[in-house]
This record gives sequence, C-alpha cells and structure tokens, in this order.
Amino acid sequence: MSRLNAFLLLILFTASSGTARGVEPTAADNHYREAIKAVSAKDYTTALTEFELALDIDPDNLRFASDYRQAVILAKQYDRCLGFFEKLVTAAPAASNAYLNYGFAYVDKIPDAGAITQVILANKSLSLFSRSIELKPSWIAYYTRGNSSLFWPKIFGRTPLGVADLEEAMKLQKTENKRGFHVRAYIALGDGYWKMGELDKARTLWREGLAQFPGTSPLVERLAVEGDPLKALIDGMYDPNKRVDTNLHELWTD
Amino acid sequence: MTVAACLFFVALLAPSLLAQSEPGRPARLRFEEISQKAGVSHVHHIRTFKGKKGDVLGMFTSGGASVAVTDYDGDGWDDFFLTDSQEGEANRLYRNRGNGTFADVTQSAGVGGGNDARSIVADALWFDYDNDGRADLLVVRFGTPLLYHNQGGGNFKDVSATSGLNKFGNTVAAIAFDYDRDGYLDLMLGNYFKSENLLDLKTPHVLPNDLDNAVNGGGVTLWRGDGHGRFTEVTEKAGFARHSGWTLDIGHGDFDNDGLQDVYLACDYGTDRIFFNNGDGSFRETTEKALGYDTKKGMNAEAADYDNDGWLDIYVTNITDEYMKECNMLWHNNHDGTFTDLSKETGTCDTLWGWGAKFGDFDNDAWQDLFAVNGLRSAGKDNFIPVLVNMIITPGIDFTDINNWPDIGDMSWSGFQKKKLFLNLGADTFKEMSADAGVDNDLDGRGVALADFDNDGLLDIFQTNANQRVLLYHNQSPNPGRWVGLKLVGTKSNRDAIGTRVTLRAGNRSLIREVSGGNGYSAQSSTRLHFGLGAADRIESLEIRWPSGLVQKLDVPLDRISYIKEGTGMIAAPAASEGTPK
Repeated sequence: MSRLNAFLLLILFTASSGTARGVEPTAADNHYREAIKAVSAKDYTTALTEFELALDIDPDNLRFASDYRQAVILAKQYDRCLGFFEKLVTAAPAASNAYLNYGFAYVDKIPDAGAITQVILANKSLSLFSRSIELKPSWIAYYTRGNSSLFWPKIFGRTPLGVADLEEAMKLQKTENKRGFHVRAYIALGDGYWKMGELDKARTLWREGLAQFPGTSPLVERLAVEGDPLKALIDGMYDPNKRVDTNLHELWTD
Repeated sequence: MTVAACLFFVALLAPSLLAQSEPGRPARLRFEEISQKAGVSHVHHIRTFKGKKGDVLGMFTSGGASVAVTDYDGDGWDDFFLTDSQEGEANRLYRNRGNGTFADVTQSAGVGGGNDARSIVADALWFDYDNDGRADLLVVRFGTPLLYHNQGGGNFKDVSATSGLNKFGNTVAAIAFDYDRDGYLDLMLGNYFKSENLLDLKTPHVLPNDLDNAVNGGGVTLWRGDGHGRFTEVTEKAGFARHSGWTLDIGHGDFDNDGLQDVYLACDYGTDRIFFNNGDGSFRETTEKALGYDTKKGMNAEAADYDNDGWLDIYVTNITDEYMKECNMLWHNNHDGTFTDLSKETGTCDTLWGWGAKFGDFDNDAWQDLFAVNGLRSAGKDNFIPVLVNMIITPGIDFTDINNWPDIGDMSWSGFQKKKLFLNLGADTFKEMSADAGVDNDLDGRGVALADFDNDGLLDIFQTNANQRVLLYHNQSPNPGRWVGLKLVGTKSNRDAIGTRVTLRAGNRSLIREVSGGNGYSAQSSTRLHFGLGAADRIESLEIRWPSGLVQKLDVPLDRISYIKEGTGMIAAPAASEGTPK
C-alpha cells in the first residue's frame, strides 16, 4: 500500500468513525471533515481551504494541523502553508501545537529545496520548535527538536543540544504509559550518542529500546552493524534530501 | 549451472575483480607526479583585492587556475598554457621538448600578460580562428578577453584590439566551436558575475541574489567568427540572451546525433541549462523537458559516451560536502532529447566540493574513466563553514550585498580534499581508486586537462590548483590495451576539426569521440582523439563525420597517432613526433 493510500485510509477511517475528538461535531470538525473529503477527491484547493478554516477556529489542534500539512505535501503548496501558519501563530500566540506544526511546515519543504535553502528552512524550524517547548513542554516537542538537531552536521555543534532534548523526551516518556511511538526516542537518542562518538552508550540504549519494543527494525539494523556500515545507515537516516515523515497520526492512533 | 553460464558469470565478475588492488599486484591504473622532473614549476596565485571586503571578493573569484593544451608549434608534441590571476603575475607557456621535459617559453612568445589593475585572468583556450594551421590563443578575464594570433616560429601577436571581442565580462569559461558550420570557429564565453568591474566596484550588490536559484549572474555571450580574426556578438540572435545564471562552465557536443553542436551550461547557485542547435544559427532551450530545473552548484560540464551506447552523456560536478549534499550529475542520454541522472547508480555522485572533471580511457580498456578534482580552500585549522552558515541563516539577509558576507581570514573552507579517480568497469559502474592510482592529492584542484604528452599511447593528467602549484601525472598504468590516436585536420570544416565525430568499431564495441573545443572547467584537453581498444587487436571500422557533413571511412594503424585530413585521408605526422608506445 502506498503511503498516500495508507494516509487517506487512515484519515477516512477516523473521520467516518465519529468526530475528530469523539464529541458532537463543532464548526471546526465540520470543516475538517470537508477537508478530508476533498483530499480523497484530490481536490487540494478545497482541502487546504477547509483545513485552514478548521484551524482558524481551533488553532492548537495537533491533528487538524498535521493532516493539513500532509495535504500540503501532496499539493506541494509549501509557501501557502508557511504563510498560513505565520498568520495563525500571530492570531493565537499561545498555541504551542500551532508553533510545532509551523516548524514542521518548514521541515516539509526541505526535500524540495536547494542545499542552502535547506539550511535556512531547518534553522527556522528549530526556532519554532523552541517556541512550542517554551509554551508547553511535551514529549513530541522535545523529540521533534532533538531529532531535528541531529540533521545538522557535527561542525555546527548542535548534536549535544539534540541529545539533551532527546534525553528530556526519554525522561518524559518514562513517566507516561508506554506508547508505541516512544521507541522513536530510543532510536534517535542512540543516534545522537553515536554522533557524539559514544558508541557504547548508543548500543546500550538501542538494546534497551529493543527490549522494550521487540522486533523494531531500525533498532535491529543498528545493532547488527558497526563501523562504516553503521555510519552509512545513520547518515542515510539524516539525509536532508529524503522526506522525513512528519505525519503525527501515531499520537492519536497508537 | 552449465559451463556457458559459469563462463558468463566469470565474465561478469572479471572487470570488478581486475579493478581490485591486491597485495603484490600492481594497480590497474598508475600515475607518477612528474611536474618538477618535467621542469614545470608554475604556481597559481588568486587575485588579492584591496578594500574592506577584498577578502570576500577573493573568495568569490578563487578560480582562475587554468590549463590549455595544444601542439602550438606543430611539432607533434602537445604543449600547454597556464594562467595566473594575481596582478603582475605572468601566465606561462610551456613547450614540450619531446623528451619528458618542458621549456618555459613565455617571454619569447610574449603571452604572459593579462593580469593588470583592471583585469583578472581566469581561463584560456587554444583555437585556430583563421584556419592557418597554427593554434591561436584566447585568454579570458574578469575584464575584456585577450586574443593572440600565432605567427609561427613561437611568436604571437596581440590582436585583441581588432578582434571585436571588446565587451567587458566577468568571464570564467570559454569554448570554441563552429555553431553555424560555416567552417570558422566561433566562441562562447561563460560569465560568472554580471558585468560589474570587481576591481572598481560601483555597488556592493554584486553577489548572488539567491544561493540556490540566482538569476543575477553574467550568463553567456556567443561570438561568431569570420575566419579573419573578427568576432561579432550573436548572443541574442542565437537565443542565449535570456540566460542570466552564474555560468561556471560550458560544454558542447552533438547531444542528439543530428550533426549539430549543442550546448550545456553548468551554473553555480542555480539551475544548469541545455540548448539544442536548430541548424539555422539559433538554439532552443529545453532544460525543463531534458533535465528538469535544479538548485545545485554546477561547476563542470564534460561530455563523453561513458557507456558506449553511441550517444554523448554529460558529467556535471556539484557540491557534496559537510552542509551541502547535492550529489554530482551524470546525465545519461536517453536518446530522445532527455537525460537521466545516474550519478548515484554509477558511483560518481560524491566528489566533495567539485571542480573540473574529465573522461578518458586511462587503461585503454575501451571504457572511459573519470578523473575529478575538488577542494575550495585549504588554509588554517579553523573551519569557515559555521561562520558562513551564521550569515546564511540571518533573517532577511541580503546575499547580494558584499558587506553582509563574513571575512574568511586564514580559515579553511572545504579544503584538503582527496581527488577522485573513477575506473569505468562497464555496465554503468565505476570504482573509485585514486589512492591506488597515486592521484589522491589534496590540493585545491580546479582544472583537469588530458593529453598524451609523451606520445606513448596513454593519457596523462594535468591538474591546476588555486593558489598552489600545478601537478602533472604521467600515466604508467601496467598492461594497458591497444590504442589509436587521431589528429584531425579540417579543410572545409574548421581546421581544428572541433565538433568532428569519430565512430570506431573494435571488439564488437562501437566507441565514439568528438573533438572538444574546451569542455570542462578551467582546462582544455588535447584536441587529439584517443581510443583504447581493450582486448581487440584490430579495428573493424572507423568513420569520421566532419562538421561540414562529409563522412569519411578509413583504416588507421594501431598504437600510433594518425594525422587525417578532411577529404584526403592519412597525412604524414610531423617529423620526430614518435613516442614510445606501450
């Protein structure tokens, strides 16, 4: 199944199984449903407009914003999306999830940008993730900023900052009920340790992650190789030319 | 498994096995650096700019280390011209003595000038503009070009003033080709900055307006030669006036096998462009359809049929470095006017901060290998990249303003990079083996010229380096295949035979070569064509398609350089030009 089909199926399923949040539909929910319908009809102009109307009403809605960005990726309307979020956070300056998705909107544009523009976009996304953390520290915000920092080559000195964020995310997840997406912190934090030259620490963490989440392929793959193959594996994960999956659906489907 | 299947399997494996350097076994490719031994001591100097932001301008003009190869004195041995860029420093002409050494004849030839208070030498090109049989010399500059007429006897006359080449440009690339097939060579000049004299700046807004999609560069100009030393600008008429990119290199070739010379422009800070020749003096741009638009930092445009399918492919170096992961482009010709980038698939994607690159069959196995140089600035231990990125990420920064760029001082920037030599294993596969071959120097490479300087049947490599000495690699690869060298002499076509297509069949392979008028960044290779034949010990057929349209078929001997005149056939080689064939 293609990613697009899986995505559509997922959102159609959730949209048809009641409202987005399991309560009586609000005006925002109605716009969201119209947006989902439009996406399935590949009518991205309508979809984006409806998503934006939904977010205007409910700017801190993580799910509306995440699905909006996935539609933006399909429509390749990155600049429209960035413009929208800029207005949204101006209108709702306390909406931490809006800032988070605003940052993701920059990340979404990176694979389609030139090498220098990628640096500029990545830097902008980091500052928006920071604002999101300032407004409301959360697992997703720490994980996102930490993981983003790992994309920067070592010479920029951002790897230790990324590791600190990911350690914070790890702390938070250990205080919560275990969720499937928590495995991501084991993978990324281990990668961060590896980038810092702390291979033993990385392997210990990957092993711990594998014990918690048996069979997780990225952990198995990392633990199976060393030296150059491991470097190639991790470098491949942090290639700015590859699209990063920024769909946040795991947060509400897991 | 049948015996036949086993043999097939072994045959498939053989090239890659042979490519390995095993203990006790000589590498398949082997070079020795002989510049000092050969008496070539030239050191290039980048221009030092005065003023507060001279440091920044120095960075942006840190090319200019060029080599242009030709047999300027017609003695059968390839000579070369080297550029310098610093004010008061001389370019150098080296004459090949035919004994493995070269004599600096700059002073007697009178071609050392060009670097003055208002001009910076950036590239050079040999071409016989008046078809008199002697190679003339063009020196392009951040300024107006210099044109020297080869008077014979080792003497040159500056004819710039009457050449018509009087338009100021920040020119870094030049090719000669006969775009209109009138028998006289024309010139295309590639300009980096827009036409603003950097040595007398009137505005600080001279740098790229976007680092991935800049449109404020110098573009190109096209000059039609009349065969008597006069050139007339035809840029607009030919369809090139709309291009305003930061041109770093120009490549030409018959990319669609229609007998006409097409053009590829490698551009820094934004998309490369391709133009097909309409045959009526104009070109049509087909970039979007043929390649797609890119955001990369195009540095080099080289054309060759690397996969021996009878169609020219194009190799472009970009930047694949600590913070830019662009990957080079090996444009495989799809035979329909479009190209597919196979650099990742072929293993030729990553040459770090790329500059010049050239295809050549270094081991005469009938597959063209690839040598690529790299490295921007090798200086102190501090790294300029974080400083630069701090500027780049400043919100609202105006990149065009020279005052916004940080000074580099003694910092290094993508320096100390090892060169890359890719052995062509056939089947769209290359193996990097610069260390085994002895060419993995870490100087700040710029140009690569290929020529068989000692006429021994193996292509040697000349490498220029910014602010550093040149390198001359003598090819000493063991057990090479047999070979054919061809020096073509046009009569109805331009005398240099630039644009002539030769198709040689041997060993059930069809190999093509075209005479190049300066493809590749900052270096012009020999116009002699070189074919390696692999295991074949005879030529099945040899066909020459001249720019005039004449098609000639003839036999030539193996392991020799043959001189062939358009419409006549083999002619005598210059006396005493025989080398020591391997």
